[in-house]
Amino acid sequence: MEESKAVISIQAFRFDPDRPEESGFQTYEVPAQEPLSVMALLAKIHEIDGSFACRTSTCFKGQCGSCLIRVNGNDGLGCVTLIKPGEAVRLEPHSKYRVIRDVVVDFSAPMVES
Amino acid sequence: MRAVQRCETDVLVVGGGAAGLRAALAAAESGSRVIVVNKGPVSRSGITLAAAGGMQSPFHQDDSVEQFFQDTLHCGYGIGDQNLAWTFAAGACDAALDMERYGARFVRNADGGLALGKFPGQTYPRNLFVKGGGVGIVSALWRACLANDYISIRDDFFVTGLINGKAIGASQVAGVAGLDLRTGDFVLIRAGAVILATGGCQRLWEVNDCPADATGEGLSYAYRAGADLVDMEMLLFYPSVIVWPPSLKGAFVHYEFLAENILDGNVYDKFGVAVLPKPLPVRDQAMRLMEDAIRAGRGGEHNGLLWYVGDSPKGSEVVRKKLDIAQYNYIKAHGVDPADARIEVSPGAHYLMGGIHIDENCQTTLGGLFATPECAGNFDGANRLAGSGIAATQVFGKRAGLHAGQWASANSMVDVDEVSVEAEMERVFRRISRVPISKAAEAGNVLITLQGRLKAAVQKYAGVSREQAGLAQLAQEICAIKQELKRQKVPDVKVFNQALVDILQMESMCEVATLVTGSAQLRTESRGHHYRRDFPLQDDLQWLQHTCATMRGTEAVFGTKPIRTI
Repeated sequence: MEESKAVISIQAFRFDPDRPEESGFQTYEVPAQEPLSVMALLAKIHEIDGSFACRTSTCFKGQCGSCLIRVNGNDGLGCVTLIKPGEAVRLEPHSKYRVIRDVVVDFSAPMVES
Repeated sequence: MRAVQRCETDVLVVGGGAAGLRAALAAAESGSRVIVVNKGPVSRSGITLAAAGGMQSPFHQDDSVEQFFQDTLHCGYGIGDQNLAWTFAAGACDAALDMERYGARFVRNADGGLALGKFPGQTYPRNLFVKGGGVGIVSALWRACLANDYISIRDDFFVTGLINGKAIGASQVAGVAGLDLRTGDFVLIRAGAVILATGGCQRLWEVNDCPADATGEGLSYAYRAGADLVDMEMLLFYPSVIVWPPSLKGAFVHYEFLAENILDGNVYDKFGVAVLPKPLPVRDQAMRLMEDAIRAGRGGEHNGLLWYVGDSPKGSEVVRKKLDIAQYNYIKAHGVDPADARIEVSPGAHYLMGGIHIDENCQTTLGGLFATPECAGNFDGANRLAGSGIAATQVFGKRAGLHAGQWASANSMVDVDEVSVEAEMERVFRRISRVPISKAAEAGNVLITLQGRLKAAVQKYAGVSREQAGLAQLAQEICAIKQELKRQKVPDVKVFNQALVDILQMESMCEVATLVTGSAQLRTESRGHHYRRDFPLQDDLQWLQHTCATMRGTEAVFGTKPIRTI
């Protein structure tokens, strides 16, 4: 059954402030039969690897911005960005905020444009 | 063992939703120094954000505090405390005006008056609408807090427990211990008074419409510190929470829209048979019909029923217009068009009505500890009116802030019981594994499995209909899960150790599940949202009282507490 092997491949940004020299991308594969929002995908990665950090709160309306993230090079809302089974995706922290760990950012610390 | 960082404040607020932020403003405006700690970023986490934005206040010319009070008691099936219901009704108009003063915007009529909607159970139109819903409310209160020099907000601060005072005689709270997730430090915040504004525990149920934050820590902290928790069996369910597709799990579609005068839809079983009669029954009756249908095997592939308005006699234009709001546009963004798709839904946990016992000043049964709805419990009773949730956060949030501030200035700060600090630190740090992260990551999977087991069992046995045998099985399952949870460890990560937060949340969830189960077993009657298949009738001779859960030694003791009348 080809369908049962459906996965989403993720290149996820890893950053640990205690080991900044080791930051880079890690590959994860999440089994998926249905399209998943980037937010649901992040929760799955955290389930696979407890050391991977991401924000998990949502308002269910695409308004609160808890899920702001960079998907394939574009900043946006993770809760309404859908990834289909079979697709590959690159996930990085939102580019406008300071990174705390992995894709978790500090919303109170926007990066100043020079 | 890591070092303890220490700081102190007059009033400490745990939780940065609508209630906690309102409490902080009230305390600060009366001269207290305030720290608000929140386990995520304020304005981008918490249960308030998911609220639709309806708020009840008796502004209508024919309405009155007295009528609002009566409606509230009636809707609560007689077990809401009357002193709280009166305080609530009397404070609701001011609460709305305060909210506007802080920057929230209400929908107004062309003549400038507040637009009032009429929801079931309201004698007069009483529902205000806040622009931007829950997000609009929290944004306004958050900005007001940021502008207040007496308030300091610490985002990403996970409280692990309350710290006792070294007082002789009556038990008194001296502050909280917690993890600053951004630094990994273990921090002791000493406070003249502590306010719990941590919300409900809806994530205990497999089907719920709340953000991941609704794990009920505040309830377990109060319980562990020795406070009384009442009516923990009283959970408000919502009929139509989405169970499929997976990325929409937790969003809901309006049950109310199925009514004949709105879109005249229905929920259907897998054979295409309508489950609900017309006129559309009230929510608790509808949910029992839906659960019966699911139990009888009429549910769909994912154990839900199909919400459908695609054949509305009102015509597709009316349907599309009605559904052109943020909540439904969110669903559309997930590839599901709610105007013509059959959406798989099931009754799910929506709001916790029980919780920490408070008096009209929001004081709990412990000295120096205050609480405000949703985590405070003896106000709603067995059901609540639409729009009471947000209004209660504002009325009681304000009172909690005022009275916590007064307590802090009237009583000198108690000394911290250092033994209780060390015990709390030991409880947290014994969870951290010394083995490499990759191995510890596997343990994360065990935690996910345990969470899944807990949620499935609570959904099955403590959902919209319950009975003794199932509840006893649930109690056993919780014990088994607690035993397995004891052995679990998490990776040794300093900054933002999310796995550590997960496991501590899971401990709280197990504790709170025990309280829900024990209280549901004790209440041998059906009342409001608590339905016992083995005791289907309301028993006013025996049960016009609260159930009450308290910790004695290390065990939960379940008893009763009288209803306060005025």
